Amino acid sequence: MADTIIEFQNVTFRYEGDEGIVLSPAVKDFSLKIGGGEFVAVLGHNGSGKSTLAKLANGLLLPESGDVLVDGMNTKNEDDDIKIKQTVGVVFQNPDNQIVATIVEEDVAFGPENLGIEQSEIRRRVDGALKIVGMYNYRRHEPHKLSGGQKQRVAIAGIIAMEPRCIILDEPTAMLDPVGRKDVMNAIKRLNREMGITVVYITHYMEEACEAQRIIVMDDAKLLMDGTPEEIFSDPEKIREIGLDVPQTCRLAEMLKNSGIKITGNVLGIDELVENIDSLLRGQQNVTSCN
Amino acid sequence: MSHLVTEHLSYVYGEGTPFKVTALDNVNINIEKSELVAIIGHTGSGKSTLVQHMNGLLKPTGGKIFLDGEDIHLSKAKTYETRFKVGLCFQYPEYQLFESTVYKDIAFGPTNMGLSKGEIDERVRNAAKYVGISDEMLQKSPFDLSGGEKRRVAIAGVISMGPEILILDEPTSGLDPRGREQILSLIKNYRDETGKTVIIVSHSMDDVARLADKVIVMNDAKVESCGTVDEVYENSSRLTEIGLSVPQVTEIFVRLKKLGYPVNENVYTAQQGYSELMRLFKGRGIL
Repeated sequence: MADTIIEFQNVTFRYEGDEGIVLSPAVKDFSLKIGGGEFVAVLGHNGSGKSTLAKLANGLLLPESGDVLVDGMNTKNEDDDIKIKQTVGVVFQNPDNQIVATIVEEDVAFGPENLGIEQSEIRRRVDGALKIVGMYNYRRHEPHKLSGGQKQRVAIAGIIAMEPRCIILDEPTAMLDPVGRKDVMNAIKRLNREMGITVVYITHYMEEACEAQRIIVMDDAKLLMDGTPEEIFSDPEKIREIGLDVPQTCRLAEMLKNSGIKITGNVLGIDELVENIDSLLRGQQNVTSCN
Repeated sequence: MSHLVTEHLSYVYGEGTPFKVTALDNVNINIEKSELVAIIGHTGSGKSTLVQHMNGLLKPTGGKIFLDGEDIHLSKAKTYETRFKVGLCFQYPEYQLFESTVYKDIAFGPTNMGLSKGEIDERVRNAAKYVGISDEMLQKSPFDLSGGEKRRVAIAGVISMGPEILILDEPTSGLDPRGREQILSLIKNYRDETGKTVIIVSHSMDDVARLADKVIVMNDAKVESCGTVDEVYENSSRLTEIGLSVPQVTEIFVRLKKLGYPVNENVYTAQQGYSELMRLFKGRGIL
Protein backbone atom coordinates (compact mmCIF):
# COMPACT_ATOMS: atom_id res chain seq x y z
CA MET A 1 0.00 0.00 0.00
CA ALA A 2 1.28 3.45 -0.92
CA ASP A 3 1.39 6.46 1.39
CA THR A 4 -1.54 7.77 3.34
CA ILE A 5 -3.77 9.90 1.11
CA ILE A 6 -6.42 11.02 3.58
CA GLU A 7 -5.87 11.31 7.28
CA PHE A 8 -8.37 12.39 9.94
CA GLN A 9 -6.68 13.40 13.19
CA ASN A 10 -9.13 13.60 16.13
CA VAL A 11 -11.64 15.47 14.00
CA THR A 12 -14.78 16.96 15.53
CA PHE A 13 -17.36 18.80 13.45
CA ARG A 14 -20.83 20.15 14.19
CA TYR A 15 -23.35 21.87 11.95
CA GLU A 16 -24.69 25.24 12.97
CA GLY A 17 -28.14 25.17 14.57
CA ASP A 18 -30.84 27.83 14.28
CA GLU A 19 -30.65 30.84 16.55
CA GLY A 20 -27.64 29.80 18.54
CA ILE A 21 -28.87 26.29 19.33
CA VAL A 22 -25.81 24.10 19.79
CA LEU A 23 -26.18 20.81 17.92
CA SER A 24 -24.36 17.66 18.93
CA PRO A 25 -21.33 16.88 16.76
CA ALA A 26 -21.91 15.15 13.42
CA VAL A 27 -18.39 13.74 13.64
CA LYS A 28 -16.72 13.36 17.03
CA ASP A 29 -13.04 12.83 17.82
CA PHE A 30 -12.64 10.84 14.65
CA SER A 31 -9.32 9.44 13.50
CA LEU A 32 -8.70 7.41 10.34
CA LYS A 33 -5.97 6.81 7.77
CA ILE A 34 -6.76 5.85 4.20
CA GLY A 35 -3.87 4.62 2.10
CA GLY A 36 -3.31 5.34 -1.59
CA GLY A 37 -4.99 2.73 -3.81
CA GLU A 38 -7.35 1.42 -1.15
CA PHE A 39 -11.03 0.63 -1.78
CA VAL A 40 -12.86 1.49 1.44
CA ALA A 41 -16.61 1.19 1.99
CA VAL A 42 -18.26 3.32 4.66
CA LEU A 43 -21.38 1.99 6.38
CA GLY A 44 -23.61 3.56 9.02
CA HIS A 45 -27.27 4.38 9.53
CA ASN A 46 -28.81 7.67 8.33
CA GLY A 47 -27.37 10.47 10.40
CA SER A 48 -24.32 8.55 11.60
CA GLY A 49 -21.92 11.06 10.05
CA LYS A 50 -20.96 9.36 6.78
CA SER A 51 -21.73 12.25 4.42
CA THR A 52 -20.11 14.75 6.77
CA LEU A 53 -16.98 12.63 6.54
CA ALA A 54 -17.05 12.89 2.74
CA LYS A 55 -17.35 16.67 2.87
CA LEU A 56 -14.59 17.01 5.45
CA ALA A 57 -12.28 14.87 3.32
CA ASN A 58 -12.00 17.37 0.50
CA GLY A 59 -12.38 20.59 2.41
CA LEU A 60 -16.04 21.30 1.62
CA LEU A 61 -16.41 21.40 5.41
CA LEU A 62 -13.68 22.30 7.86
CA PRO A 63 -13.21 20.63 11.27
CA GLU A 64 -14.13 22.44 14.47
CA SER A 65 -11.16 20.75 16.11
CA GLY A 66 -8.57 18.31 14.84
CA ASP A 67 -7.14 18.22 11.33
CA VAL A 68 -7.85 16.62 7.99
CA LEU A 69 -4.76 16.02 5.87
CA VAL A 70 -5.07 15.31 2.16
CA ASP A 71 -1.80 14.04 0.76
CA GLY A 72 -0.15 15.89 3.62
CA MET A 73 -2.01 19.17 2.97
CA ASN A 74 -4.20 20.52 5.77
CA THR A 75 -7.72 21.33 4.54
CA LYS A 76 -7.68 24.39 6.81
CA ASN A 77 -4.94 25.90 4.68
CA GLU A 78 -6.75 28.02 2.09
CA ASP A 79 -3.74 28.17 -0.22
CA ASP A 80 -3.97 24.44 -0.80
CA ASP A 81 -7.73 24.45 -1.36
CA ILE A 82 -7.65 23.95 -5.14
CA LYS A 83 -4.92 21.31 -4.92
CA ILE A 84 -6.94 19.46 -2.30
CA LYS A 85 -10.10 19.47 -4.42
CA GLN A 86 -8.06 18.21 -7.37
CA THR A 87 -6.69 15.39 -5.25
CA VAL A 88 -10.03 14.29 -3.81
CA GLY A 89 -13.18 14.38 -5.97
CA VAL A 90 -16.70 13.74 -4.63
CA VAL A 91 -19.69 12.19 -6.40
CA PHE A 92 -23.07 12.65 -4.73
CA GLN A 93 -26.30 10.70 -4.62
CA ASN A 94 -28.46 12.49 -7.14
CA PRO A 95 -27.04 12.43 -10.69
CA ASP A 96 -29.45 15.15 -11.82
CA ASN A 97 -27.81 17.68 -9.53
CA GLN A 98 -24.35 17.07 -10.92
CA ILE A 99 -24.76 17.48 -14.67
CA VAL A 100 -23.97 20.96 -15.98
CA ALA A 101 -23.67 20.74 -19.78
CA THR A 102 -26.02 19.73 -22.60
CA ILE A 103 -23.68 17.20 -24.25
CA VAL A 104 -22.05 14.35 -22.35
CA GLU A 105 -18.45 15.07 -23.42
CA GLU A 106 -18.83 18.77 -22.64
CA ASP A 107 -20.04 17.87 -19.19
CA VAL A 108 -17.01 15.69 -18.57
CA ALA A 109 -14.74 18.47 -19.93
CA PHE A 110 -16.16 21.05 -17.51
CA GLY A 111 -13.73 20.26 -14.68
CA PRO A 112 -10.48 20.15 -16.68
CA GLU A 113 -11.53 23.29 -18.61
CA ASN A 114 -11.85 25.14 -15.32
CA LEU A 115 -8.37 23.98 -14.38
CA GLY A 116 -7.08 25.79 -17.48
CA ILE A 117 -5.75 22.67 -19.14
CA GLU A 118 -4.94 22.85 -22.87
CA GLN A 119 -7.39 21.50 -25.46
CA SER A 120 -5.57 18.39 -26.65
CA GLU A 121 -4.97 17.28 -23.08
CA ILE A 122 -8.66 17.84 -22.25
CA ARG A 123 -9.63 15.70 -25.26
CA ARG A 124 -7.36 12.90 -24.05
CA ARG A 125 -8.71 13.05 -20.50
CA VAL A 126 -12.37 13.20 -21.52
CA ASP A 127 -12.05 10.24 -23.89
CA GLY A 128 -10.13 8.23 -21.31
CA ALA A 129 -12.61 9.01 -18.53
CA LEU A 130 -15.64 8.12 -20.67
CA LYS A 131 -14.04 4.85 -21.76
CA ILE A 132 -13.28 3.68 -18.26
CA VAL A 133 -16.89 4.20 -17.11
CA GLY A 134 -18.21 2.60 -20.31
CA MET A 135 -19.92 5.76 -21.63
CA TYR A 136 -17.65 6.58 -24.61
CA ASN A 137 -20.31 5.61 -27.13
CA TYR A 138 -22.64 8.14 -25.53
CA ARG A 139 -20.19 11.06 -25.73
CA ARG A 140 -22.38 13.10 -28.06
CA HIS A 141 -25.67 12.30 -26.30
CA GLU A 142 -27.72 14.70 -24.22
CA PRO A 143 -27.23 13.87 -20.53
CA HIS A 144 -30.86 14.44 -19.53
CA LYS A 145 -31.95 11.64 -21.84
CA LEU A 146 -29.72 9.08 -20.18
CA SER A 147 -30.84 6.64 -17.50
CA GLY A 148 -29.92 7.28 -13.86
CA GLY A 149 -27.05 4.80 -13.95
CA GLN A 150 -25.67 6.32 -17.14
CA LYS A 151 -25.90 9.85 -15.72
CA GLN A 152 -24.12 8.76 -12.59
CA ARG A 153 -21.32 7.24 -14.67
CA VAL A 154 -21.02 10.53 -16.59
CA ALA A 155 -20.74 12.35 -13.26
CA ILE A 156 -17.97 9.93 -12.22
CA ALA A 157 -16.19 10.49 -15.56
CA GLY A 158 -16.36 14.24 -14.87
CA ILE A 159 -14.45 13.69 -11.65
CA ILE A 160 -11.94 11.30 -13.22
CA ALA A 161 -11.14 13.84 -15.94
CA MET A 162 -9.72 16.03 -13.20
CA GLU A 163 -7.32 13.15 -12.51
CA PRO A 164 -7.84 12.97 -8.76
CA ARG A 165 -5.89 10.45 -6.72
CA CYS A 166 -8.93 9.71 -4.62
CA ILE A 167 -12.64 9.62 -5.36
CA ILE A 168 -15.34 9.67 -2.69
CA LEU A 169 -18.79 8.45 -3.66
CA ASP A 170 -21.69 9.30 -1.36
CA GLU A 171 -24.40 6.70 -1.98
CA PRO A 172 -24.00 6.94 -5.75
CA THR A 173 -26.42 4.08 -6.41
CA ALA A 174 -29.23 4.97 -4.00
CA MET A 175 -31.49 6.24 -6.78
CA LEU A 176 -30.65 3.58 -9.34
CA ASP A 177 -32.26 0.33 -10.44
CA PRO A 178 -30.39 -3.00 -10.10
CA VAL A 179 -28.72 -2.82 -13.50
CA GLY A 180 -27.72 0.82 -13.08
CA ARG A 181 -26.27 -0.10 -9.71
CA LYS A 182 -24.21 -2.93 -11.14
CA ASP A 183 -22.87 -0.77 -14.00
CA VAL A 184 -21.78 1.97 -11.60
CA MET A 185 -20.16 -0.55 -9.26
CA ASN A 186 -18.25 -2.14 -12.15
CA ALA A 187 -16.99 1.27 -13.28
CA ILE A 188 -15.79 2.04 -9.76
CA LYS A 189 -13.99 -1.27 -9.42
CA ARG A 190 -12.21 -0.59 -12.69
CA LEU A 191 -11.07 2.86 -11.52
CA ASN A 192 -9.61 1.31 -8.44
CA ARG A 193 -7.96 -1.67 -10.09
CA GLU A 194 -6.84 -0.27 -13.44
CA MET A 195 -6.06 3.33 -12.56
CA GLY A 196 -5.06 2.81 -8.95
CA ILE A 197 -7.47 5.53 -7.78
CA THR A 198 -8.30 5.38 -4.08
CA VAL A 199 -12.04 4.81 -3.63
CA VAL A 200 -14.09 5.74 -0.58
CA TYR A 201 -17.57 4.36 -1.10
CA ILE A 202 -20.45 5.34 1.17
CA THR A 203 -23.44 3.03 0.90
CA HIS A 204 -26.48 1.46 2.55
CA TYR A 205 -26.20 -1.66 0.45
CA MET A 206 -24.36 -4.34 2.39
CA GLU A 207 -23.78 -6.38 -0.78
CA GLU A 208 -21.95 -3.43 -2.34
CA ALA A 209 -19.78 -2.97 0.74
CA CYS A 210 -18.59 -6.57 0.33
CA GLU A 211 -16.85 -5.51 -2.88
CA ALA A 212 -14.43 -3.31 -0.94
CA GLN A 213 -11.16 -4.43 0.66
CA ARG A 214 -11.92 -2.61 3.85
CA ILE A 215 -15.11 -1.48 5.57
CA ILE A 216 -15.43 1.19 8.19
CA VAL A 217 -18.64 1.45 10.19
CA MET A 218 -19.81 4.77 11.63
CA ASP A 219 -22.20 5.04 14.54
CA ASP A 220 -23.26 8.20 16.36
CA ALA A 221 -20.55 10.37 14.82
CA LYS A 222 -17.83 7.90 15.75
CA LEU A 223 -15.80 5.15 14.16
CA LEU A 224 -17.27 1.89 15.47
CA MET A 225 -15.58 -0.81 13.38
CA ASP A 226 -12.75 -1.01 10.88
CA GLY A 227 -11.82 -4.23 9.08
CA THR A 228 -12.17 -6.46 6.06
CA PRO A 229 -15.71 -7.37 4.90
CA GLU A 230 -15.15 -10.85 6.38
CA GLU A 231 -14.27 -9.39 9.76
CA ILE A 232 -17.11 -6.86 9.80
CA PHE A 233 -19.85 -9.27 8.82
CA SER A 234 -18.62 -12.03 11.11
CA ASP A 235 -20.42 -10.28 13.96
CA PRO A 236 -24.02 -9.94 12.69
CA GLU A 237 -25.38 -9.12 16.16
CA LYS A 238 -23.25 -6.03 16.47
CA ILE A 239 -24.13 -4.93 12.95
CA ARG A 240 -27.87 -5.26 13.62
CA GLU A 241 -27.62 -3.47 16.94
CA ILE A 242 -26.65 -0.26 15.18
CA GLY A 243 -29.50 -0.45 12.66
CA LEU A 244 -27.59 -2.05 9.81
CA ASP A 245 -27.89 -5.53 8.43
CA VAL A 246 -25.66 -8.23 7.04
CA PRO A 247 -26.09 -9.39 3.42
CA GLN A 248 -28.87 -11.97 3.01
CA THR A 249 -26.33 -14.65 2.13
CA CYS A 250 -24.41 -14.01 5.38
CA ARG A 251 -27.64 -14.20 7.33
CA LEU A 252 -28.53 -17.52 5.75
CA ALA A 253 -25.03 -18.89 6.44
CA GLU A 254 -25.30 -17.72 10.04
CA MET A 255 -28.62 -19.52 10.53
CA LEU A 256 -27.18 -22.72 9.08
CA LYS A 257 -24.11 -22.49 11.33
CA ASN A 258 -26.32 -21.99 14.38
CA SER A 259 -28.11 -25.23 13.49
CA GLY A 260 -24.84 -27.11 13.43
CA ILE A 261 -24.33 -27.20 9.68
CA LYS A 262 -20.65 -27.02 8.89
CA ILE A 263 -20.09 -23.90 6.81
CA THR A 264 -16.44 -23.20 6.19
CA GLY A 265 -14.84 -19.79 5.73
CA ASN A 266 -16.64 -16.49 5.86
CA VAL A 267 -19.59 -16.47 3.55
CA LEU A 268 -20.14 -13.09 1.91
CA GLY A 269 -21.56 -13.90 -1.48
CA ILE A 270 -23.66 -16.31 -3.46
CA ASP A 271 -20.66 -18.21 -4.85
CA GLU A 272 -19.22 -19.10 -1.46
CA LEU A 273 -22.52 -20.30 -0.05
CA VAL A 274 -23.42 -22.39 -3.10
CA GLU A 275 -19.93 -23.97 -3.04
CA ASN A 276 -20.28 -24.71 0.65
CA ILE A 277 -23.66 -26.39 0.29
CA ASP A 278 -22.57 -28.26 -2.82
CA SER A 279 -19.46 -29.69 -1.18
CA LEU A 280 -21.41 -30.62 1.96
CA LEU A 281 -23.93 -32.58 -0.07
CA ARG A 282 -21.31 -34.07 -2.34
CA GLY A 283 -19.18 -35.20 0.58
CA GLN A 284 -22.20 -36.86 2.03
CA GLN A 285 -22.98 -38.59 -1.29
CA ASN A 286 -19.44 -39.98 -1.38
CA VAL A 287 -19.85 -41.41 2.07
CA THR A 288 -23.05 -43.21 1.13
CA SER A 289 -21.52 -44.61 -2.04
CA CYS A 290 -18.62 -46.02 -0.01
CA ASN A 291 -21.05 -47.81 2.24
CA MET B 1 -64.12 -6.86 -6.91
CA SER B 2 -62.29 -4.72 -9.45
CA HIS B 3 -61.26 -1.50 -7.81
CA LEU B 4 -58.88 0.25 -10.15
CA VAL B 5 -58.73 -0.77 -13.79
CA THR B 6 -56.82 0.56 -16.77
CA GLU B 7 -58.02 -0.24 -20.28
CA HIS B 8 -55.63 0.12 -23.22
CA LEU B 9 -53.94 2.92 -21.31
CA SER B 10 -51.34 4.76 -23.38
CA TYR B 11 -49.35 7.89 -22.76
CA VAL B 12 -47.09 9.66 -25.22
CA TYR B 13 -44.83 12.56 -24.22
CA GLY B 14 -44.21 15.21 -26.88
CA GLU B 15 -46.71 13.91 -29.46
CA GLY B 16 -46.18 15.62 -32.83
CA THR B 17 -42.59 16.66 -32.03
CA PRO B 18 -39.32 14.90 -32.92
CA PHE B 19 -38.92 14.10 -29.21
CA LYS B 20 -41.98 11.84 -29.04
CA VAL B 21 -41.62 9.16 -26.37
CA THR B 22 -44.15 6.46 -25.63
CA ALA B 23 -44.15 6.11 -21.85
CA LEU B 24 -47.13 3.76 -21.60
CA ASP B 25 -48.23 1.44 -24.35
CA ASN B 26 -51.58 -0.35 -24.10
CA VAL B 27 -51.45 -1.04 -20.38
CA ASN B 28 -54.27 -3.22 -19.03
CA ILE B 29 -54.24 -3.87 -15.32
CA ASN B 30 -56.80 -4.76 -12.73
CA ILE B 31 -56.31 -4.02 -9.05
CA GLU B 32 -58.70 -5.48 -6.48
CA LYS B 33 -59.85 -3.88 -3.27
CA SER B 34 -57.47 -4.40 -0.31
CA GLU B 35 -54.71 -5.77 -2.50
CA LEU B 36 -51.09 -4.89 -1.81
CA VAL B 37 -49.68 -4.46 -5.27
CA ALA B 38 -46.05 -3.87 -6.28
CA ILE B 39 -45.09 -2.30 -9.58
CA ILE B 40 -41.51 -3.08 -10.58
CA GLY B 41 -39.39 -2.27 -13.60
CA HIS B 42 -36.07 -0.67 -14.53
CA THR B 43 -35.62 3.12 -14.57
CA GLY B 44 -37.64 4.58 -17.43
CA SER B 45 -39.90 1.54 -17.82
CA GLY B 46 -43.04 3.61 -17.16
CA LYS B 47 -43.74 2.82 -13.51
CA SER B 48 -43.98 6.40 -12.28
CA THR B 49 -45.94 7.51 -15.34
CA LEU B 50 -48.40 4.70 -14.65
CA VAL B 51 -49.03 5.64 -11.02
CA GLN B 52 -49.38 9.30 -11.94
CA HIS B 53 -52.30 8.27 -14.13
CA MET B 54 -53.98 6.46 -11.28
CA ASN B 55 -54.95 9.61 -9.43
CA GLY B 56 -55.61 11.68 -12.54
CA LEU B 57 -52.40 13.69 -12.32
CA LEU B 58 -51.63 12.78 -15.93
CA LYS B 59 -54.33 12.37 -18.53
CA PRO B 60 -53.96 9.38 -20.86
CA THR B 61 -53.33 10.05 -24.55
CA GLY B 62 -55.19 6.80 -25.22
CA GLY B 63 -57.38 4.41 -23.22
CA LYS B 64 -59.19 4.80 -19.92
CA ILE B 65 -58.86 4.43 -16.17
CA PHE B 66 -61.76 3.26 -14.06
CA LEU B 67 -62.12 3.67 -10.32
CA ASP B 68 -64.94 1.51 -8.93
CA GLY B 69 -66.30 1.15 -12.44
CA GLU B 70 -66.36 4.85 -13.31
CA ASP B 71 -64.10 6.62 -15.80
CA ILE B 72 -61.98 9.03 -13.72
CA HIS B 73 -61.93 11.56 -16.57
CA LEU B 74 -65.70 11.46 -17.14
CA SER B 75 -65.97 15.00 -15.78
CA LYS B 76 -63.82 17.56 -14.02
CA ALA B 77 -65.64 16.84 -10.78
CA LYS B 78 -64.90 13.14 -11.13
CA THR B 79 -61.17 13.78 -11.67
CA TYR B 80 -61.13 16.08 -8.65
CA GLU B 81 -62.82 13.44 -6.53
CA THR B 82 -60.27 10.85 -7.70
CA ARG B 83 -57.41 12.96 -6.38
CA PHE B 84 -58.79 12.51 -2.87
CA LYS B 85 -59.65 8.86 -3.28
CA VAL B 86 -56.24 7.95 -4.62
CA GLY B 87 -53.39 9.33 -2.51
CA LEU B 88 -50.02 9.50 -4.22
CA CYS B 89 -46.79 9.80 -2.28
CA PHE B 90 -43.90 10.73 -4.58
CA GLN B 91 -40.30 9.57 -4.49
CA TYR B 92 -38.26 11.27 -1.77
CA PRO B 93 -41.43 12.85 -0.31
CA GLU B 94 -39.47 14.30 2.60
CA TYR B 95 -38.26 17.05 0.26
CA GLN B 96 -41.86 18.26 0.19
CA LEU B 97 -42.16 18.85 3.92
CA PHE B 98 -42.47 22.57 4.54
CA GLU B 99 -44.50 23.38 7.67
CA SER B 100 -43.09 24.55 10.99
CA THR B 101 -44.25 21.48 12.90
CA VAL B 102 -44.82 17.86 12.03
CA TYR B 103 -48.44 18.25 13.15
CA LYS B 104 -49.11 21.09 10.71
CA ASP B 105 -47.45 19.23 7.89
CA ILE B 106 -49.63 16.17 8.33
CA ALA B 107 -52.68 18.45 8.75
CA PHE B 108 -52.05 20.27 5.46
CA GLY B 109 -54.06 17.87 3.29
CA PRO B 110 -57.09 17.52 5.59
CA THR B 111 -57.12 21.32 6.13
CA ASN B 112 -57.33 21.87 2.37
CA MET B 113 -60.18 19.40 2.25
CA GLY B 114 -62.16 21.86 4.37
CA LEU B 115 -62.64 19.53 7.33
CA SER B 116 -63.54 20.68 10.83
CA LYS B 117 -60.80 21.22 13.42
CA GLY B 118 -61.87 18.18 15.40
CA GLU B 119 -61.90 15.99 12.33
CA ILE B 120 -58.47 17.27 11.24
CA ASP B 121 -57.04 16.54 14.68
CA GLU B 122 -58.40 13.02 14.65
CA ARG B 123 -56.97 12.36 11.21
CA VAL B 124 -53.54 13.73 12.06
CA ARG B 125 -53.27 11.60 15.21
CA ASN B 126 -54.56 8.56 13.41
CA ALA B 127 -52.12 8.94 10.51
CA ALA B 128 -49.25 9.59 12.94
CA LYS B 129 -50.12 6.39 14.76
CA TYR B 130 -49.91 4.32 11.56
CA VAL B 131 -46.44 5.60 10.74
CA GLY B 132 -45.16 5.43 14.32
CA ILE B 133 -44.76 9.16 14.95
CA SER B 134 -45.19 9.92 18.67
CA ASP B 135 -47.24 12.81 20.12
CA GLU B 136 -44.02 14.44 21.24
CA MET B 137 -42.63 14.36 17.72
CA LEU B 138 -45.76 16.05 16.34
CA GLN B 139 -44.66 19.33 17.90
CA LYS B 140 -41.13 19.20 16.49
CA SER B 141 -39.96 20.84 13.31
CA PRO B 142 -39.95 18.25 10.51
CA PHE B 143 -36.42 19.38 9.68
CA ASP B 144 -35.08 18.16 13.02
CA LEU B 145 -36.06 14.56 12.26
CA SER B 146 -33.94 11.77 10.81
CA GLY B 147 -34.29 10.74 7.16
CA GLY B 148 -36.48 7.77 7.98
CA GLU B 149 -38.70 9.82 10.31
CA LYS B 150 -39.16 12.55 7.70
CA ARG B 151 -40.15 9.93 5.17
CA ARG B 152 -42.77 8.58 7.57
CA VAL B 153 -44.15 12.05 8.27
CA ALA B 154 -44.53 12.63 4.52
CA ILE B 155 -46.40 9.33 4.17
CA ALA B 156 -48.65 10.31 7.09
CA GLY B 157 -49.46 13.51 5.19
CA VAL B 158 -51.02 11.38 2.46
CA ILE B 159 -52.68 8.88 4.81
CA SER B 160 -54.35 11.75 6.69
CA MET B 161 -56.35 12.57 3.57
CA GLY B 162 -58.07 9.21 3.99
CA PRO B 163 -57.52 7.83 0.49
CA GLU B 164 -59.16 4.59 -0.63
CA ILE B 165 -55.96 3.72 -2.45
CA LEU B 166 -52.51 4.65 -1.15
CA ILE B 167 -49.74 4.76 -3.75
CA LEU B 168 -46.11 5.01 -2.66
CA ASP B 169 -43.43 5.64 -5.29
CA GLU B 170 -40.13 4.06 -4.14
CA PRO B 171 -40.95 4.35 -0.43
CA THR B 172 -37.67 2.85 0.85
CA SER B 173 -35.07 4.29 -1.49
CA GLY B 174 -32.14 6.01 0.19
CA LEU B 175 -33.00 4.72 3.66
CA ASP B 176 -30.74 2.63 5.86
CA PRO B 177 -31.77 -0.98 6.67
CA ARG B 178 -33.63 -0.03 9.86
CA GLY B 179 -35.50 2.80 8.15
CA ARG B 180 -36.41 0.47 5.32
CA GLU B 181 -37.67 -2.14 7.76
CA GLN B 182 -39.90 0.40 9.54
CA ILE B 183 -41.46 1.66 6.32
CA LEU B 184 -42.15 -1.85 5.05
CA SER B 185 -43.82 -2.99 8.24
CA LEU B 186 -45.91 0.17 8.47
CA ILE B 187 -47.14 -0.35 4.91
CA LYS B 188 -48.18 -3.89 5.72
CA ASN B 189 -49.84 -2.95 9.01
CA TYR B 190 -51.70 -0.08 7.39
CA ARG B 191 -53.14 -2.37 4.74
CA ASP B 192 -53.97 -5.14 7.22
CA GLU B 193 -55.68 -2.80 9.68
CA THR B 194 -57.57 -0.55 7.28
CA GLY B 195 -58.21 -3.05 4.51
CA LYS B 196 -57.36 -0.32 2.02
CA THR B 197 -55.61 -0.88 -1.27
CA VAL B 198 -51.88 -0.10 -1.33
CA ILE B 199 -49.70 0.15 -4.41
CA ILE B 200 -45.93 0.47 -4.13
CA VAL B 201 -43.43 1.20 -6.88
CA SER B 202 -40.10 -0.44 -6.14
CA HIS B 203 -36.68 -1.47 -7.41
CA SER B 204 -36.08 -3.72 -4.48
CA MET B 205 -36.95 -7.26 -5.37
CA ASP B 206 -36.34 -8.28 -1.76
CA ASP B 207 -38.93 -5.83 -0.45
CA VAL B 208 -41.46 -6.81 -3.10
CA ALA B 209 -41.08 -10.52 -2.39
CA ARG B 210 -41.88 -9.95 1.27
CA LEU B 211 -44.86 -7.67 0.85
CA ALA B 212 -46.85 -7.95 -2.30
CA ASP B 213 -49.97 -9.98 -3.06
CA LYS B 214 -49.59 -9.12 -6.70
CA VAL B 215 -46.64 -7.94 -8.79
CA ILE B 216 -46.87 -5.97 -12.02
CA VAL B 217 -43.65 -5.94 -14.04
CA MET B 218 -43.21 -3.02 -16.42
CA ASN B 219 -40.75 -3.08 -19.30
CA ASP B 220 -40.39 -0.51 -22.07
CA ALA B 221 -43.79 1.11 -21.46
CA LYS B 222 -45.62 -2.24 -21.47
CA VAL B 223 -46.79 -4.71 -18.86
CA GLU B 224 -44.23 -7.49 -19.08
CA SER B 225 -45.94 -9.82 -16.62
CA CYS B 226 -48.40 -9.76 -13.77
CA GLY B 227 -49.13 -12.28 -11.05
CA THR B 228 -48.19 -13.46 -7.58
CA VAL B 229 -44.58 -13.16 -6.41
CA ASP B 230 -44.01 -16.86 -7.18
CA GLU B 231 -45.42 -16.55 -10.69
CA VAL B 232 -43.45 -13.46 -11.57
CA TYR B 233 -40.13 -14.48 -10.00
CA GLU B 234 -40.23 -17.92 -11.59
CA ASN B 235 -38.61 -16.56 -14.70
CA SER B 236 -35.53 -15.10 -13.04
CA SER B 237 -33.38 -15.03 -16.18
CA ARG B 238 -36.00 -12.91 -17.95
CA LEU B 239 -36.13 -10.50 -15.00
CA THR B 240 -32.37 -10.06 -15.20
CA GLU B 241 -32.64 -9.47 -18.94
CA ILE B 242 -35.02 -6.55 -18.42
CA GLY B 243 -32.82 -4.87 -15.85
CA LEU B 244 -34.19 -6.34 -12.64
CA SER B 245 -32.73 -8.97 -10.40
CA VAL B 246 -34.12 -11.62 -8.11
CA PRO B 247 -33.14 -11.54 -4.42
CA GLN B 248 -29.68 -12.94 -3.54
CA VAL B 249 -31.24 -15.84 -1.66
CA THR B 250 -33.35 -16.80 -4.70
CA GLU B 251 -30.20 -16.76 -6.81
CA ILE B 252 -28.63 -19.34 -4.49
CA PHE B 253 -31.52 -21.73 -5.06
CA VAL B 254 -31.56 -21.18 -8.81
CA ARG B 255 -27.88 -22.17 -8.81
CA LEU B 256 -28.45 -25.22 -6.59
CA LYS B 257 -31.21 -26.39 -8.87
CA LYS B 258 -28.91 -26.02 -11.88
CA LEU B 259 -26.41 -28.22 -10.06
CA GLY B 260 -29.14 -30.84 -9.95
CA TYR B 261 -30.37 -30.56 -6.36
CA PRO B 262 -34.10 -31.04 -5.75
CA VAL B 263 -34.82 -27.58 -4.29
CA ASN B 264 -37.67 -25.15 -4.60
CA GLU B 265 -36.58 -21.95 -6.37
CA ASN B 266 -39.44 -19.88 -4.95
CA VAL B 267 -37.41 -18.81 -1.96
CA TYR B 268 -36.91 -15.10 -1.34
CA THR B 269 -35.82 -14.50 2.22
CA ALA B 270 -33.05 -15.88 4.40
CA GLN B 271 -35.68 -17.49 6.64
CA GLN B 272 -37.35 -19.30 3.73
CA GLY B 273 -33.96 -20.31 2.40
CA TYR B 274 -33.01 -21.72 5.76
CA SER B 275 -36.16 -23.89 5.96
CA GLU B 276 -35.64 -25.14 2.43
CA LEU B 277 -31.99 -26.05 3.04
CA MET B 278 -32.77 -27.75 6.34
CA ARG B 279 -35.37 -29.83 4.53
CA LEU B 280 -32.73 -30.82 1.98
CA PHE B 281 -30.10 -31.61 4.62
CA LYS B 282 -32.50 -33.64 6.74
CA GLY B 283 -33.66 -35.56 3.68
CA ARG B 284 -30.09 -36.51 2.97
CA GLY B 285 -29.37 -37.56 6.53
CA ILE B 286 -27.03 -34.66 7.27
CA LEU B 287 -27.82 -33.45 10.81
